[in-house]
This record gives sequence, C-alpha cells and structure tokens, in this order.
Amino acid sequence: MQERLDALLSAARTELAAAADDGAMEQWRVTHLGRRSEVTGLLRSVGSLPREERRAAGQAANAARRELEEAFETRQSELRRGADGAQADVTMPGYPVRLGSLHPLTRTLREIRRVLAPLGFRAVSGPEVEWDRYNFELLNIPADHPARDMWDTFHIHDKARPGELLLRTHTSPVQARVMEQIQPPVRVIVPGKVYRYEDRDASHEAEFMQVEGLAIDKHITMADLRGTLTYFVRAMFGPDRELRIRASYFPFTEPSAEAEMSCHACDGDGCPVCGGTGWIEILGSGMVHPKVLADVGYDPDVYQGFAFGMGVERIAMLKYGVTDIRSFYRNDLRFLRQLR
Amino acid sequence: MRVPFEWLRELTGIEASVDDVATRLTNAGFEVGAIHRAGEHWDRIVVGEVARIDPHPNADRLNLPTVNTGSEEIQVVCGAWNFEVGDRIAFAPAGARLWDPYADEPVLKELKPTRIRGVVSRGMLCSTKELGISDDHEGILVLDPDAPLGQPLAEALGGEVVEFELKANRPDALSVLGIAREAAALYGTEVRSPIPEARPNEDGASESVVLGIDDAALCARYSAALVHDVKVGESPARIRDRLEQAGVRPISTIVDATNYVMLELGQPLHAFDCETVRGGYIGVRTARPGERLVTLDGQDRELTPETLCIVDAEGPVALAGVMGGLDTEVTDATSTVLLESATFDPISIRRTAHRLNLRSEASRRFEKGLPPELTVLALRRCVQVIEEIGAGRGEFLTADAYPAPSDPEPVSLAFDRIERLMGVAYDRSEVRQALSALEFGLEEDGDELRVTPPFWRRDVTAPADVIEEVARLVGYERIPDTLPTGQVMDLAPGEIDERDDEVRDVMAGLGFAECVTYALTSEARMARLVPPDLLDAPPDAPLGDADAWAEVRETAMNDAGRSLTDRLLPLDREPLRLRNPLSMEENALRLTGLGTMLETLRANRRHADRDLLLFDYQPAFLARDGDLPEEPNFLTAVIGERVSADRWNETGTVELPFVRGVVDELVARSGVPTDQASHDDLQHPTFAAGAAAAVTYKGHLLAAYGEVDAEVAAAFDLDERAWALLVDMPAVRAASAGAPSFSAWSEYPSALRDLAIVVDAEVTQAEVQDIIQRAGRPLLQSARLFDEYRGQQIPAGKRSLAYALSYAAPDRTLTDKQADRAHNRVVRALQHRLGAELRG
Ligand SMILES: [Zn+2]
Repeated sequence: MQERLDALLSAARTELAAAADDGAMEQWRVTHLGRRSEVTGLLRSVGSLPREERRAAGQAANAARRELEEAFETRQSELRRGADGAQADVTMPGYPVRLGSLHPLTRTLREIRRVLAPLGFRAVSGPEVEWDRYNFELLNIPADHPARDMWDTFHIHDKARPGELLLRTHTSPVQARVMEQIQPPVRVIVPGKVYRYEDRDASHEAEFMQVEGLAIDKHITMADLRGTLTYFVRAMFGPDRELRIRASYFPFTEPSAEAEMSCHACDGDGCPVCGGTGWIEILGSGMVHPKVLADVGYDPDVYQGFAFGMGVERIAMLKYGVTDIRSFYRNDLRFLRQLR
Repeated sequence: MRVPFEWLRELTGIEASVDDVATRLTNAGFEVGAIHRAGEHWDRIVVGEVARIDPHPNADRLNLPTVNTGSEEIQVVCGAWNFEVGDRIAFAPAGARLWDPYADEPVLKELKPTRIRGVVSRGMLCSTKELGISDDHEGILVLDPDAPLGQPLAEALGGEVVEFELKANRPDALSVLGIAREAAALYGTEVRSPIPEARPNEDGASESVVLGIDDAALCARYSAALVHDVKVGESPARIRDRLEQAGVRPISTIVDATNYVMLELGQPLHAFDCETVRGGYIGVRTARPGERLVTLDGQDRELTPETLCIVDAEGPVALAGVMGGLDTEVTDATSTVLLESATFDPISIRRTAHRLNLRSEASRRFEKGLPPELTVLALRRCVQVIEEIGAGRGEFLTADAYPAPSDPEPVSLAFDRIERLMGVAYDRSEVRQALSALEFGLEEDGDELRVTPPFWRRDVTAPADVIEEVARLVGYERIPDTLPTGQVMDLAPGEIDERDDEVRDVMAGLGFAECVTYALTSEARMARLVPPDLLDAPPDAPLGDADAWAEVRETAMNDAGRSLTDRLLPLDREPLRLRNPLSMEENALRLTGLGTMLETLRANRRHADRDLLLFDYQPAFLARDGDLPEEPNFLTAVIGERVSADRWNETGTVELPFVRGVVDELVARSGVPTDQASHDDLQHPTFAAGAAAAVTYKGHLLAAYGEVDAEVAAAFDLDERAWALLVDMPAVRAASAGAPSFSAWSEYPSALRDLAIVVDAEVTQAEVQDIIQRAGRPLLQSARLFDEYRGQQIPAGKRSLAYALSYAAPDRTLTDKQADRAHNRVVRALQHRLGAELRG
C-alpha cells in the first residue's frame, strides 16, 4: 500500500511541476484528486482490507490525499504569482479604472440633505427664473424698499411684463411657493442655484448655490432654530463645534439672527481660516416674519416658525479647504478628481 | 457708517474699551465691520507748539519753526506756511515713522535728521496725509489749541473710529446719537443728548419765510431756520477732525455744521444762500414739464415730472433730498443762510437718486424713512453749532410746515407671547427693563403689554418687533438649544426627484466627471454650435433669424434633426436675455449646456490626453409666453477622443457604440425598455454626418449622440475628435415604465450557437436583429452581437456581423436536434430576407 502511494505521489508531483496553465491544472486535479483518481480508489478499497490493516492503510491514504491537495494549492499559487514563480511587484500601479466623480457641490448638497432629513426636512426645488413677486414682494421686500439693495439683481428682458422677470437672488422664493400650496406643518429645505449681479472674485460668485431651510408649525420657536443649527454644524463639522447667534436683519424674518460656529480648523483659537477670530460666519436665519406668513394665507397668530439660509460653496470651501469660490465652476478635472 | 469712538463716548459716558463696545453692539445687531485705529502706526509723534518761526537763511520758500514739545525745543526746516507762533501742531521728531506721501503704495518711513539748504532739520511738522488720516497734503495739521503739549498724537486725536455695517431697517442707526442710544441701553448708562432746549419766540411762527408743501405724502414736514451774519470760513479743528474721521470732507463752516449734525442726529440738512431764494418762498413739489436745474455738480438737468423739487417763488432751487442747486449755494459772500430740515418720501428720494445715479449720505438716510419729529431738533442743534463756532447767529426755528402730524402707533402683546416665540422665558422685569432702556413707553394691563416706540423707532410696528428688541437686549446667548417637535409634513410640492441623484450616480459610475457650469452664457457661444457659414448671422444676433433657420431645417437636417432642434438643442429659439448683463460673454440664459461643456472639454484637454468624460446635469431655460420659462434638466455629456484601455498606457478611440453604451445604460436605468427605443440616423449641423444618432421611444425624442461636427469642434478650439450626448431626462421619465419588473428565465440549460453572416453594407444591425428575433421564436433567448467586420476577406459593399445566440425551452432541456432546428430557421430567414451568406 505505502509503496503504491509513494509511487503515485512521486508521479503526481512530477506531473504537477509540468502543469503550467489552468487547463493542465484542472486535468491534474481530475486525475489525481477526482472521483476516479487512484488515491480515491485506494481509499475506497481500504474497507476490503483485513481489519488489522485498515487503520494504518486508511491513515496513509488520507495523508497522501492531503499531501496531493497541498501540492496542488502550492502550485496553484505559484502559477498565480507568475510562471517563473517570482514574486509579483506589488508596487506596480493599478490599471486605470474609468470611474467618474460627483461634483463637490453635489456631494456637499447631498450631505446637507442627509444631515437634515432625520429632522423631517424634505428637499424641494423651485424655478431659477422668478417673478419679482416671489423673489421680493412675498418676502416682505416691497418695490423701492431700501432692503432691495441687499440683493443685486439680474433682470430679464421681457417686453410683455417689463421688470417682473428676474434671476432669483436667493432660494427664499421657494418658501412662499411651498407655503402657498400646503398647510402647516411645513418642514422643507430648498437647495438650488441663485444669482447676484456682482463681479466675481475669490470670494464672490455671480452664480452660486444656496440651501434654504423652513419649518412652520404652531409652536416652533427660536430655541428650536438654535437647536437645529447647532445639530447641523456638529453633524457637518464635528461634535466639538459650538454655535453662537447674534442679532441681525433680514426683511423676511423677525427676530433675525446671524449664526457663527467655532472654527473647525483651529478649534476656536484663531487661525487664517477664521481670520483669527476663532469663529466662522456660516448662515443667516430667523423667525419667519408675520407678514410673510400672512401673505401666503397663514394666520400669524396661530402659526410660527423659522427659516435659515446658507451658501453651499462656503460650506464646501470650509470642508475641503478650497480658497477660491470660482474653482467650483471651472470644472478642472484636477480639482474634480482631488475632491472626488 | 464711521463713528469716532470718542464721539460715542461723549454721548453715552461709557468707559468700556472700544473692543468691548464693538462686540456688544455687534451681538445686538449693530454689526461692526472694522475698528480703525488712526494712531496705530504712529510712533513718537506728539503734540507740539510752534515757539518761534525764523526765516531760512538760504531759501525764501522755507522757514525754520522751533517746536516746543513740552520737554525740549527742536528746530526744523518746513515748507508750509499755514501756521503761526502759538499753534499746536502734530510734531514728528527724528526717529519717528511716517507715511511716505510721495509713494504710490502706503509705506512707512523712518524720519532722519537732514540738512536742507544748509540748515539741519531734526524733525517735521506733519500734514494729514503723512499721518495717514486723509489724502489732503496741503499744509500742516493744526490741532485744537487745548491739545496737551507732549501728548502722543493718537491720544490727542481720540484714536479709534468704529465702522458699522448697518442694516436697512434702522434709519435711526445712521447717526452717532442712534448708536449711542443703543450702546447706552446695553451698558445701562444715560444718553447725553446734544440737542438744546427750544428757545422762546423761535417757534416757527415767523413770517419771514413762507413754506408751501403740495403733497404731504411726498414731504411730511418741512422746517426752516434763518442764520444771519454768516461767516463762511474754515471750521475749528474739533469739527473738522470728527468729520474727517467719519469720512466726510470738511468744506466750510456752514456746510460743515450741517454735515456734523447729519452725522450726529441722522437728519440731513441743506443750506441755501437766503438772498438767492426768490420771493421769500420755499415750496416742495414735483417738477413741471420743461423745468430745469443746474445742480451743485454743475450739471444742467432736465427734471422729469416725478422728480421732487424744492422751489422758490420762481422755480426749482434743489432736488429734494438728493442735491442742491448751484445758484442757491452758500458761498464766501453769503451773509444770510436758510437751513432746510425736512422729511421727504423715502420712495421718491430713492427713485430720484437711483435714476440720476446720485446716491449720497443724505439720500441714503431719506431712503430709509426719517421721523418728522427730527426736523426741528436737528435745526436747533445746527444753529447751536453754527453759533458755537462763530459762523453766524440764528433762530432755532423760523418756519415749520407739518400738515398731518402723526405719532408712532402703540403695539400690544401678551407677555407669554415672548416665550411662545423665543422658546425661553424672560422675567417681566427683564422685559420692562430692556424696553425702557430703549426708551419705549410701557403700559401694562394684567398679562397685556402696551408698548409705544419712541419717535425714532417707527420700524417697530408688530409684536414680533417688540419681542426682537427684548431678545436682542437681553442677549441671544439666553436662547437654549431644542429640536423642533410635532408632526411630519405631507409630501411637499416640488419635491426633489431622487432619480436625479441616480442619473448623476450612473454617469459617475460610467466614468464621467460631473461638472457644475454656469447657466449664464452668450448667444455667441451657443451660435458656435453650428458651422460658422451656415447661418451667416450678424455678430449682434449670432443665433440668426427665423428665415435662416427655416432653411437650415430644410437643407441640413432630417426628421430626427428637426425633432432635436424642437427641444433638446433649440438653437433657433430666442434665449432669455439679461437686461443688465455683467458682460457680453454672459448675456443670456442657456438653451443648451453643450457650448459650455465643449469649452470645459477644451480647457481640460490642455492638461490631459485621455479619459476626458464630462457631464453636466443642470437646467436649460426655454422661454414661454406670459409665464416663467420651462427649466428642464437636460443631461449634457462630452467625451474626448481617447480613453484608457486595459493596461497602463493603452488607449482606445471613442466610436459611436461607446456612446450608445452610455445612453442605453442611462435609459434602461430610468425604466425605459431599451429594446423598444429606436436609434436612427441623425442629421444635424452640430453633429458629424454619418456619425450621430437620435433615440426615440414611441415617437418621442429621448436623446441624441454622436461625433461633434469637425467645424464645430474647431470653433471650440478642439484639436481632436469630440463626442457629445444630450439626454432629455424629463422625456425619459415620461417614457419610463416605472420600477423594473421581474420575468422568469428557463431553469434548463441553454444551447449556444454562433452565427456569422455577410450582408450588404446598407443592411442595418437592427434589421438583422429583428429578423433573428422573429425567426428564433419561441426558443431564442438572446442574440448578442460580438463582431463586425468589413475588409479584404469579404466582398466590397458587404459587411459581416457575428452573433452569439442562446436557445432554451421553459420546460425541458433542448436536445441538440431541437436547438439546431430552431437555429436553422434563423439562418434560413436571414438568407431569404437579406440574401445573407453564412461565413466561416
Ligand atoms: Zn480658525
């Protein structure tokens, strides 16, 4: 028995060393380890041996089988490493993978949506070309109001209705559009492109993205606004962020608040990112003005709520360390690949 | 608004530092943009006194003042003459650092002892320019005679100027007094009002000036005061310093006094030379047809009928609230001045100032709406200032027209409303204290609070306004963090379609980099999408006219091309144009993103030779009559000529099927049955002839793709072939069958048969596929094309197509014979219908 096994092993090893491709390997496996292989036959025949020989013969046949299996594995991995058995150079670069990328603004917008979704905010959109009525009047900014100076506006040529069509200067008109159509509770965010008649430089764009938030119900308070913003900056910029708000003015909120977060780059110690102050202005916000509520048909004695708005590029610049807002619109693949 | 900090201190008695005051005001909504410290760079510059002036022995235009600094006397050489013995001046001894007045950039230079025409100068008397206070380089800065000798100049001039970035809702804050009121309320000090008490018999009842207001809606109040024995000259240093620090150029006594009071109280004043006002009459009305006025800037202006004017007995003498007239200007010869202090309609002033592009410190204040109560207070203060500086002797109020007096309306609210809005409780005592500190009148009736704003706070009209005042003054840091509770909302209108996210994900997965491009573009950029000579359009209307396009549609397009032009690439439409573009490079909203994307391709081509796969998924803007434009999300993708292949440096060339693979995947993922979408030859001037296709489904165009026409590519400066893909995603959505539905496959083994045929080159793959599918029924599961060949091994005018066919039955394993029978039916059909020959 043992002699037969030794002969078999030696022959199998010789054949295995000569097997150089997947086909030969498979053939070897079928011949030496398959159902009709010699070693399997020997194992089967163990039962017919005299009782006292069975144990030793069974062990020997099994050991031979294991040996064959191990030899097969070893040869297989040798072949995979290279025909000559040399170690592959693992420092070779991978073949080019043609996988594209999402724009950093898309990624930032998605993150904002993802962060606010658990608080019940649904994302809605609205038109970029707007009526003066939605962009200004329904937001408590009547014609000839000095607050209009806060938004330098692109106007659209329209012979039929001169002066009424414009490029929206903020995403806030969508607030009015949503409230006109549904009764509270309202909880939406509005991402989208906005436009300002403004010369471009490293920190100003004529076209940029905003996200607006709006929550209206019977008892939504300024504390809820503050809590939501704190939650937001911590979700976006880390759990150690502190939020502070201070009084401000927007025609469509009263009271109004400017929100700042402790600088994520220096933890509030002061650095170039925060201009040495330790704080970064991040968004404007406030309690929706009763006039705005009344103008869309809500009873301001019953309903109240908050609104906030932020620049998406600004958030992305802070997150990715981008210093020139125009980079987002140049679409240089080197930029897009870096921030993929 | 720039406020000298010492002025603010004078009106409030606050002793806190400028930084502390700036922080607290900022938190309360009076945002400080910057703190300018005038003396920041001054080093060793002190108050000196001119002790003696000797002539220079060698130069007539120079003199030799000796300056007493309190501790020593130093002789210098000086070229200015505007000072006398005894004047206090800003003195820089040798070793001090000064701005170089002759450098283009601000540069600090150390002063060294120098010999000038034989005499050593050991210091310098400074001008405001050298000190960096203003650009005025004429003459030496002469200080207040009370400035203490030897005191560092920074201290003598008061130092800090606080620059506020004020909001549109607070006209009262455009004054030192307004900011002082706010600061005093925050620090709990008393405001020290600079306004003097009224004088008896100067109550506006005089008949020396007659006032007439045509329309009280355009001018709520007009008050006037006469000043006699006027002396026009230079104002004292105290006035000039404050004006300069506040950013107003000192001119002469009377004008300086009016500007000073405007800065201090927020009420713009205007001074007329009384002798030039005809008929002892001042009126306020809109201009009459044909009326003209030469304004202070020397311009002769024709007045439009909506322009609000100040008139005398004969005609216009000033543009109300915007600019005075040249004829009535105060001059050195003026002996009597009529001071105007009025409340004009904010809208009228704003329109006039915008129309004439004459926005001034005065118009900015009128635009925000000033309280009529202020006119008489400002006159009193102005007359007082004029008398103090010895520039005349006046009446506090000579005439006053106030046709419809009104007081601020009280606002009522329940105490608990504050907590309801803010989400935090305030003690009633806190509420009272905050509102009283801001000088609001308070009445309480149980739980109700009745608040009467002071006359300067007409912006407070509703409970929310009152609540904001309380919250602001107590401080926003009191507000805690809570999260909104309550019901979840219904589905919102205009909800963002998550399938848009998937479109981006699919494109990124297919190797494309997402771009976000500008919606603003130029007509010229869009016009470059057709070959230049095709439209022969003039440069001012590069997209051509209707006739030209009618011809292009007829001659350069097939049905697919016309259908593409109808919507997805609507270059023959009028784009929405901007009335006020930033430049002609972005004067219109895009009809298609393709032009911008080809430019982006070109820009990236400069630093990459392969794998330029870019897409943009943003709206196009299609005008609609009388309505907002349609803003469909069109997908625009562009592809450069070469893409990476298997190994490191191998590349393949993009061909039409490459782009089709992308389209099919995108369309299939959107739920459109790809086998039912048809791809047809596309003839359109943007695309290369014979290398473009249009995708339609049930007669609707979903997409177009192909190689960009060589002339068009050249127009975008591309040096290689480019491919483009346009997808009308809204149309794809409309064609979608919704969620994909499952269909079972045979559990039995498939029989595989390959098939290679030679057919006429004109026979399309779709025709072959169609015949295979029909003839293979019901056993044929799929027929996958795996090769196409044209060339030497087959006759000219023919091509070879090779397919892998798979046959299976749903209920049994096919025998070889059964599979062969099915396959032979397919072969015979191809032979019969197409005259196909089997190959190999
Ligand atoms: Zn920092």
